Parts: sequence; C-alpha cells; structure tokens
Amino acid sequence: MTTTDLQKPAAPAAPARWRTASGTRLVWLHGRSRRVPAAVLALAVCGGVLRAALEWGWLFRTGHFAQEFPMIIEGGAAAVLVITTHSPFGEPERTASRWLPYLRLGTALAMTGVAIGVLQIAVTGASLDGGILVMARNVIGVTGIGLLSSLVTGGLLAWILPMAYIAFAEYALLQSWTNPWTWPVRPPSDRGAWLCACAMFAAGLVAFTIRGARTRLADDG
Amino acid sequence: MTVVALSRRPARVLRLEIRRSVVPWAVPLLIALFLFDTYRTAAGLPPVWTVRSSVITQSMLVDFIPFAAGLGAWVGSREGRRKTRDLLATTVRPALMRQASALGATLFWLLLVFLAGVVVLYVTTALQATWGGPPLWPVAVGAVGVVTATVLGFTAGTLFPGRFTAPLAAIGVVLLSFAGDHAALHVAPGTSTYALLSPGAAVPLVDDGVFYHAAPDVAIAQVMFMGGLAVALLGLLALAPVSRVPFRGLLSAFGRTGRWLSAAGVALLVAGAAASSTAYALAGTARLGVSGWAIPALHDAASDQPIPYSPDCAGSSFRVCVHPAFSAYLDDANAALQPVAAEIAGLPDAPVRTELTAAGDGVPSAGDSYTATPMPYITGTPPAFSYTYYVFLNPPWNDLAIPNDATDASWNSEFQQQFLMTFVAQPNSSPLSAAQDAVVTALMTVVGSPAHVFQGEGGGKVGGGSLTQIDAAAQRFASHSPAVRHAWLAAHLAALRAGTVTLAQLP
Repeated sequence: MTTTDLQKPAAPAAPARWRTASGTRLVWLHGRSRRVPAAVLALAVCGGVLRAALEWGWLFRTGHFAQEFPMIIEGGAAAVLVITTHSPFGEPERTASRWLPYLRLGTALAMTGVAIGVLQIAVTGASLDGGILVMARNVIGVTGIGLLSSLVTGGLLAWILPMAYIAFAEYALLQSWTNPWTWPVRPPSDRGAWLCACAMFAAGLVAFTIRGARTRLADDG
Repeated sequence: MTVVALSRRPARVLRLEIRRSVVPWAVPLLIALFLFDTYRTAAGLPPVWTVRSSVITQSMLVDFIPFAAGLGAWVGSREGRRKTRDLLATTVRPALMRQASALGATLFWLLLVFLAGVVVLYVTTALQATWGGPPLWPVAVGAVGVVTATVLGFTAGTLFPGRFTAPLAAIGVVLLSFAGDHAALHVAPGTSTYALLSPGAAVPLVDDGVFYHAAPDVAIAQVMFMGGLAVALLGLLALAPVSRVPFRGLLSAFGRTGRWLSAAGVALLVAGAAASSTAYALAGTARLGVSGWAIPALHDAASDQPIPYSPDCAGSSFRVCVHPAFSAYLDDANAALQPVAAEIAGLPDAPVRTELTAAGDGVPSAGDSYTATPMPYITGTPPAFSYTYYVFLNPPWNDLAIPNDATDASWNSEFQQQFLMTFVAQPNSSPLSAAQDAVVTALMTVVGSPAHVFQGEGGGKVGGGSLTQIDAAAQRFASHSPAVRHAWLAAHLAALRAGTVTLAQLP
C-alpha cells in the first residue's frame, strides 16, 4: 500500500441549496465581523437626528446655511459607514479568503446604499434643501474619501478625513465656492460636482476592494 | 519596565502617551483647516484686535472640536476596545490615573496645535494692527472649548467603548456647536439670551473694543459653563467604575474605586454642575450695553467708559480724522473725502473736519441688521462730520489680503455719497428729495465718482421725479462752473435742505 492509496476520495460537490446557505452565512459573518448591524443602527440615529432637525426647525430652510446641517449629517453617515471597513482579523483573513475582495466590495456598496436609503426615509415628507440628489452625492463622495483614507489610517480612524472634508465644505459653503471638488456646496444638477463625487467614490471603492483597509496603524492607536 | 514601575512615575507614563498619541495623525488636517478657514477669514477682517480675535471662537474652535471629541473618544475607548480592562484593573493605581495620562497626552497635542494657531494669528495681526493689544479671553474660551470637547469625547469613549463612538462623538459636538450658533444668531435685546453661552455667538462689529473696552462678561460665562461641564465629566470618569456595577454592588464598587477617589469624583461632579448652572443662569441676565453684552453680576462698570485716544488726522483746511486703530486706512478716507469737501467748502454748516465715532453697541442683532447704529451727522462749531464704521459699508479692509480696485472705487463713491447726503439733507438724510438727489449726483459727477452707484442706491427713495429726470437735472447742474454751483448752493441751501426746491429750480 502506498500513501497514494490512503488519500481520501474527493468530496462530492455540495448541493446548490447548501452552497447558497453557506454563501449567505459567509456574507452574514463578514457583515457581523465589520459590525454592520451596529453601523445600520448608527445610520438610523443620524437619520433620526436629521428628521428631528427638520421637524423642530433646528436648521435654516433657505439660503447658504440651509445645506449646513444636512451636510454634517451626511458626512457623519459616511464617516460611520467607513468604520465598517475595519477587520478584526487582520492579515490572516487576507491570506485565507479568496472571496474577501468581493465581500469588501459588496459591503461597501450595500452600506452606501443603506446610508442613502436611511437618510431618504428620514426626510420623506419633509422639505430638504437640495433634495435626495444632493444628499446621495454627498454621501457617496464623502464615503469615497473615507474608503481611500482607510487604506492609510485603517478603518477605525477612517472617519477623520471625511470629517475634515465636511469642515472644509462648511467654509466653502459660506464663501460660495464653485469648484466642482467642493461638491457639497454645488446645486443638484451640477455635472462637475457629480463627476468629482462619483470619481472619488469609484477610486475609493476600487482601491478598498483590491487592497482593503490598513490594519496596523489603527490597532496601534 | 513593569506596569507597576510605570504607574509610580506618572510623568513618564504621560511622556509615553504623548509619544504614542494618535493626535499627530490629525495635525496636518488641523493645520490645513486653520489655513483655509481661520487664517483666510481673519485676513479678510480689519486688523483690529477684537475683531481678528473673534475668529478663534467663530472658526478655529468649530474646526477643532470634532477632532478633539473624536480623538478623545478614540483614546478613551482604548481599554474597552482592546478588552484589557480586567487585566489593567490589577495595577496598583486607580483607572483614573491611567485615563488621566491618556487624556493629558491627547490634550497636550490638541492644545499645542490650537495655541500655535493662535500665535500665528496674533503675530499676523500684530504686524498689521496700529492700536491695541491681543485680547486673551477669546483664547481662554477657545482653549476651554477644546478641553471640554476632548473630555466629552473621552468620557463617551470610556463609558461606551466601541468602534462607532469616535465618529459619533465628533458628529455630536459639531451638531451641538451648530445648534448653539444657530440659537446665538437670534439673540437680540428683549429675547432669551441663554444662547450667548455658545462660543460662536455674534460676530463683533468692526469697532468693537475700539472706543469702549470689550466686556469679558460673556466670555467669563462661557468659560464657566464649558469648564464646569468638563469638570463634571471628569467627576463622572472618576466614578465610572461605580457606574458599571448594579445597584446592589454599589458599596463594594465604592470600596474598589477608593473612598477618597469616589469623594473627589462626587465633588467634581457637583462643582462642575454648579459652575455650569451658575453660568447658565448668569447668561439669562445679559443685557446689551455700549461695550457689548453685559452680565450685571460680572460686569465692571469701568468698561463702559470711553477709552481715551488721540485721533490720527490728515489734510489741512479740511481735516480727516480716524481712530488710531483704523489709521492704516486714513489715506483712503482722506482721498475719498477731500474732493467732495472742496466742492462744499465755505457753504453754511459745511464740515471742516470728520471724525469716526463709536457705533453705539458691540453686537449685531438678528437678520444681519445692527441695533442702535447712529446715522452720520454734522454737528459742532466749527461743524464736523461724524460717522461710524457702518458708513464705510464695504471698506477696503480686505485689501491687505485681496487687493481689489473695483471694491475700492465702489467704497469711495459710497463714502462720498454718505458725506454729501448728510450735508444737503441734514438733519434727515433719508429719503432724499429729487432735487437733493440731483445735487448730490451732480457733485459726485464733478469729482469723478460713478454717479450711477448713488442713483441705484437712492432709486427707491427719491420723490418728485424719475431717475431720468433727476439724472438730467444733475448733469445740468454739474455742467456749470464751480463758482456758479457754489453761489447757487450758498443761496438755496436752506430751501434745499427743507425739501422745497424742485428739479426745475435747479440751474
């Protein structure tokens, strides 16, 4: 008898139902490891604050200042969702999972969609300056900044750059800047602003999908 | 080196924390925000110390606090995130000592950057200002604001450790700041004044702190309020181990925390709450005075007295004087007023000098209007034209940062217009009659200023003639020789001021 004879025969292919179930479980475990449920809760809090601000008149309804409060909330939502880029497993996960880039891509896209959806639900029936288009543009653009930032700072500190951008956009808003890269202050139909925001999101998404968030720096904090 | 040895040397622990702090990663962003927002905003303001220093609380603090709170929360949640609380609970010093080192290191970096920004701002202002000195209360308010935001975030991070605590703390303080500023914008005499506790309260007028001392009352209340909040939060941190146990274990938790530490925590909590409550109550009693918002219990009556000064003047037969704080713009004011003053020289009540006077109060009211700002007037013997900074409308203050000839020309004509309007229509310069409008337009045309600016301004006010008719009369009057104009004005000035002259009666 040789060692070749001792090898077990290849396992039969799992039924499609099992593959679907394991795939769903993989996605769920990936989401849980990134604290996606908690992030959705945090996004709901952001939406609730925005709704409360609209209901109780905490913000200006017209003029330059009308975008100020929603912009902070939208930036905050983006800052919260980029926190989900952090992996608690670090390097071992990268070496062991060939599905990881797809999971990253799916999670980032899904969370961006959830953020826009939650904020849209929050403002339904209330008059939001700029409407859903400006809100969606702000969320995706700032999320792109956060995803790019996560490659350098790690996921847990990736909120810093989006917050800085929002602070800068506040200044641009008051100064009536018109550069397309200050997209939060541009009108809904501004093509340049859309291009910049989408380019930022695409760059962040691609880089994050391929590289993943840095794990070392944030853990040293 | 063991943890025990480290804990016996708090200064060394603090040094280690400072060296390994996460804040330096945010420093480039803070510097960029400072240059883009605070520095550029300050450069566009006149080089008056009180006005320039307002950007510390208006812009700089707003830029700093999200990072202060977020990074504070990040550092505060460290033990919770790493699940090392139980491990570190065995060390000989209480948890508060470790937390104090981490908090101290975070504050060290944040205050270092903040104060460095203040130094840059004040050095720039010192190079341009011609009067006064750097006010320290805005710096105190800003520094206490940064400390409070950091402690707030740190406490949130300690009590609720998690990956989302830091961004939520950052957003939370930004929203609090926004809500405070939003409320402060609506503070006006006769309304609730509690919102003055917001550091981003009203932007001071250009002459705030120039003619009267800027009262520090509101700044004191703000420091008390925010400082009290920070102290109360520190007390909460000291009591944090107690708060993490169920009620039945409260006594044993007190025992673990340490009797003295628990007592100190309670004392800090009570003292902080008392300070904040007192500041809140004091803010409710604020009233508007000559030196800005005054709180009776904190107000020094001496600050209501005018600050003595010797005006800077230019010109000989017609003297143009400004407060030394504005002496950088004396040449501009002189160049604007001398030509129009020459046109009316020798006429009854024609001013022989001008002087800049106090605007009356230091705080703008809601809706971008200003309370109690007196209109320019001519008074005294010999007559003097008195005006406030408000007459400058769009003065070329920002020439220092952004040279703009178009703005200068517009400012010149508006200043001349105010001067002539006050002269031909006193004591009531608004609304002008059609003849008064035509005379002012003619005199401005003669000195080469764009008359259309004036007509645009007065278009809605004039009566007795259309703009075309007024313009035709003005051109007719301007076409005469200076001697003819002067003689007509000398003979008809009283009737012109009384509004009884019609356009047809103009030569």
